[in-house]
Amino acid sequence: MVFILGVNFPERNLLKKSLETFFGIGNNSSGRLMSRFNIHPTCRVGELANKQVLDLTAVLSDMKIENDLRREVLNDIKRMKETGTYRGRRHALGLPVRGQRTRTQIKTPVKLNRMERRL
Amino acid sequence: MFPTRALFGRSVWKGPNIVPLPLPRVFPPPVNTPPIRTTKRAATILPNFVGLRFAVHNGKTYVEIQVTEEMVGRKLGEYVATRKRFTYKQSKNK
Repeated sequence: MVFILGVNFPERNLLKKSLETFFGIGNNSSGRLMSRFNIHPTCRVGELANKQVLDLTAVLSDMKIENDLRREVLNDIKRMKETGTYRGRRHALGLPVRGQRTRTQIKTPVKLNRMERRL
Repeated sequence: MFPTRALFGRSVWKGPNIVPLPLPRVFPPPVNTPPIRTTKRAATILPNFVGLRFAVHNGKTYVEIQVTEEMVGRKLGEYVATRKRFTYKQSKNK
């Protein structure tokens, strides 16, 4: 088991996949992070040197990920609602925001675009 | 209708969509100045619009909005809805 940013990862897991479990890190930024510390793309978590783990944790703690990013997204939506933009209104109504049709198939926005949105 | 023009990337070399609007000569404008009537919903809200009142066309009438600091960079039309809420009308003859 290896600790990266306070999360425990099993040693046989791929490092790339493990990094992508953080909210806000996808394929692109995980690849960049790994190439920055000269880690090959198919590296397992157990193969990491101790210094590499510390480096990764240091960089990750500086990035805006997980709850900080979630809060930012929520604040953006809240601001749109308060200023009364069309997008904010669509969020409040639970309807699609980006001009999709609403005749059929709007399950995702109905589920997500609540007044108190949880991510 | 565009839900928000902000979603459509605008080329940087064009700069913001600056529309010649009849802005007041003096800031802040004296009380009881009528709001600026306009149909230019795609006009970008510039920092010097803050505190002004606009009457923006919604396709039928002019709706008044007060520009605040948070609206800078967005478009005038984003704050004025163009659609009516659906209401069921009871028909008399069945």
